Amino acid sequence: MLKYIIKRTLWMIPTLIGVLIILFSLTYLMPGDPASVMLGPRATPELVAELNSRLHLDRSMPVRLGYYLVGVLEGDLGISVWSGHKVSSLIAEALPHTVLLAVSSLGIAAFIGILLGAFAAIRRDSPVGGIVTIVSLLGVAMPDFVAALLLMLVFCIHIPLLPALGAGTEGGPVNMATHLILPATALGIGWVGYLSRLMRESMMDVLDSDYIRTARAFAVPKSSIVYRYALKNAVIPSISVIGLGVGKLLGGAVFVEIIFSRPGLGKLIVDAVYARDFPVVQGGILVATVLFVLANLIADISYAFVDPRIQYE
Amino acid sequence: MSEPLLEVSNLTLDYNLGTRKMRALDKVSFSLDKGEVLGVAGESGCGKSTLGLAIIRLLPRVAEISRGEVIFEGTDLLKLSEEQMDRKIRGQKITMIFQNPQNALNPVFKIETQMVDILRVQNKYKNPGTQKRRRDFRQEAIERLKITGIADAEARISNYPFEFSGGMKQRVMIGMALSSGTSLLLADEATTALDVTIEAQINRLITDLASQYGTSILYISHNLGVLSDVADYIMIMYAGRVFEMGRTDDVFGNPRHPYSAALLESLPGHQAKGNRLLSIPGFVPPLDRLPAGCSFHPRCRFAEEMCRQQAPPLIEVSKGHWSACLLDQKRGRQKWQWI
Amino acid sequence: METQIRNQFETGTKTAPVSLKRKWPDKLRVIFSAVVKVKGALWGGIFVSMMILCAIGAQWISPGDPNAQDIVHRFADPSLKHLLGTDYLGRDILSRIIYGCRIAVLVAFGAVTISSIIGVLLGVAAGYNEGKKIDYLIIWLFDIVRSFPQIILALAIVAVLGPSLFNVVVALAFTAFPFYGRVARAQTLSVKESDYVKAGEAMGLERRKIILRHITPNILAPVIVCLGMDMATMIIWESGLSFLGLGVRPPTASWGIMLRNGYKYIQTSAWMILWPAVAIAIAMIAFSLFSEGLRIALDPKERER
Repeated sequence: MLKYIIKRTLWMIPTLIGVLIILFSLTYLMPGDPASVMLGPRATPELVAELNSRLHLDRSMPVRLGYYLVGVLEGDLGISVWSGHKVSSLIAEALPHTVLLAVSSLGIAAFIGILLGAFAAIRRDSPVGGIVTIVSLLGVAMPDFVAALLLMLVFCIHIPLLPALGAGTEGGPVNMATHLILPATALGIGWVGYLSRLMRESMMDVLDSDYIRTARAFAVPKSSIVYRYALKNAVIPSISVIGLGVGKLLGGAVFVEIIFSRPGLGKLIVDAVYARDFPVVQGGILVATVLFVLANLIADISYAFVDPRIQYE
Repeated sequence: MSEPLLEVSNLTLDYNLGTRKMRALDKVSFSLDKGEVLGVAGESGCGKSTLGLAIIRLLPRVAEISRGEVIFEGTDLLKLSEEQMDRKIRGQKITMIFQNPQNALNPVFKIETQMVDILRVQNKYKNPGTQKRRRDFRQEAIERLKITGIADAEARISNYPFEFSGGMKQRVMIGMALSSGTSLLLADEATTALDVTIEAQINRLITDLASQYGTSILYISHNLGVLSDVADYIMIMYAGRVFEMGRTDDVFGNPRHPYSAALLESLPGHQAKGNRLLSIPGFVPPLDRLPAGCSFHPRCRFAEEMCRQQAPPLIEVSKGHWSACLLDQKRGRQKWQWI
Repeated sequence: METQIRNQFETGTKTAPVSLKRKWPDKLRVIFSAVVKVKGALWGGIFVSMMILCAIGAQWISPGDPNAQDIVHRFADPSLKHLLGTDYLGRDILSRIIYGCRIAVLVAFGAVTISSIIGVLLGVAAGYNEGKKIDYLIIWLFDIVRSFPQIILALAIVAVLGPSLFNVVVALAFTAFPFYGRVARAQTLSVKESDYVKAGEAMGLERRKIILRHITPNILAPVIVCLGMDMATMIIWESGLSFLGLGVRPPTASWGIMLRNGYKYIQTSAWMILWPAVAIAIAMIAFSLFSEGLRIALDPKERER
């Protein structure tokens, strides 16, 4: 088990190095002179020269790469061109909001989706199956930002029920929760649909399998069969999907944060893109990517816990 | 020794697939005494697996039993509720092992866990009210593994199924299925998926343990060679009907039904060297469109007009030897030589 | 759903051997009849065809000019003149939706074509040379690009290159090619062990011929299914990027831009948001059902049903 964890973690390293190289080379893609682009209308020759030397833009590529890598390893992601703050502190401020959003939406969606799907498989004739199909179709039809817009339209404008903007940090946990409902739902809808459908198919497959037949032949109690034997096998595809889904979630979070004006990593990156604040963009993407990679790692490892065959592949 | 252990009468079963209705078992009748081994032979799709599943009542939802009785130790199993089947029959009096040991065990749980679960259930119903500890169950599981010949059982019980070979997994199943309380073992192609060398060992294991515990076996297999080894009696099925039934020596030495004769003639051993092997022309009819009369007549070399018109009943043509061929019944002992 | 299918295909599925020699009309007929059998796929196919029609013939189908402004009648509710109402500049929403369809289809087809070709080529090269340096190198490349949350990478690329239709296609293609690559590689791995490939090698066929004639046609089935699913995703992302202002440039009508405008005026007009949302929803469902049908059609196990 440990060997598997170590092996997987080690493979992360060359991958992350590649990520850093790509992020680094993004500056070369910019048409025109990076410093002028970043400064925008404020660009005077002196400021441009100053930015050039501060960001080492006037040095050769290996040197720049060196500065960049060393900086990253030390935790220094640069300084925001626009606000002058350290990129790392900007990110540290924004990140918890995004994490809260992601965890709450994914957590609730996973919980509801898995239970719904399992239930639909066990009671094949109940209307739950129909509900699952409808919800999953809804999830397919509406990507996060469309769902967010529609939710805002209905629940904030037409029926002024829930707050539209901000995270509600000033008002304490309850206020924060009301501000969280719509964004989390927008992000989560797709997931509930997908997971419940996945879970239902997986559970139906498992319930038809030979080893469940063996358990029934030996009169193992139905509850044990369903909640232990079948469930553990049936969640396997869902877990691997959830791991991959964190990436999609981070992407979706970008839109939801913009639409609901919530502070967070996504909004930080997009605002920085608008402002041509390249260090923030670079740093933000790096952090988002690292989170994504970590999430995948955790998902893979928990997958190995659930399905012991994986370690030996 | 008067009452047979298992007596099946006129068991008729259909699979309802919406537009089609497949008759998987048609008036199947036989009996089995204590300690006997009855082999059920036939090509794929003849209904032998369905027969086993019907006895232990593990059929899929689409299966419908339209008539018949399955009297086991005096009780008609078909009339019992699911709960009663679980409580008294399954896993204790009647056990079943299946064809593909690779998939028979849950891949994400250890062998120990699965065995302990089963032992716990067995104990709950056999000795209700006793409180055994997990340790005791574990010990018992290890004992069972040892009995079935698994080396180093103490350590291996903590393995996962994918760490066991096919033969070993089947031994685990046998260890669970055969114990002192088992009256009837349903073995559905138990060794078909195993290597030939392992096959012999496993069959020996099954028959030894069964005779030790006094367990009867319904041994389902398409492999006549294996059946000639292990079975006392043999029953030959075709498209859901019983064609011939009797002591193994009688049926193999003197097959009264052309189909049985054909099966035997297609075995390599039964032909002298240099002769052609028989391959029965045509193919097994789909179960929703069986031919009128004798279901075998389109393929039968010896078929006559009456075979097309009347479905042959299963009649005792000589002591303990039953056959369902009109020609045999009307004309007496024949030698059905196909080639 | 796409990740589920990709997961399934990333371990390699068995597909029936396909020889390039079989005539194309014959194969199309098989696919067509199978797709028709699955009713959902049939409807999906119908709507997809409608979308393609809109894309090609927008100028003939659309009732009006998508850019024609009519300030006097802005924010109009649906009427006979403007079936879906007007937006904040008085432009006819229906026309904009139809032209937006063209953008969606263009971007989707373009990005999917580029990324699938690159991905398949790399994937087959990697799979055929399994275990050698080039295989590891290509896998490394795939893993790096896959490490980025897709939309964020696309965002960054467009941000750096500047928003335009072409750049959106390039950015989306770049984020998607590893998926095709992994699927192609997995399929190549399972196919290259098949008997017909071994027979070819035993007869001394050159590597290149083996790859082209025998391997490539047989790995295409899961790739084609991914194509279908991916188009749906690409449509969403184009809309998303345009919504952020990082996609197609106004005044070009794209569903994403329409949503962006609708968001600005969310308190005034519900139609500006509703109709693009419906359009996106229909497009998504159509492509999903269609590719699901395609998957069933191409899976030899299910074809028997």
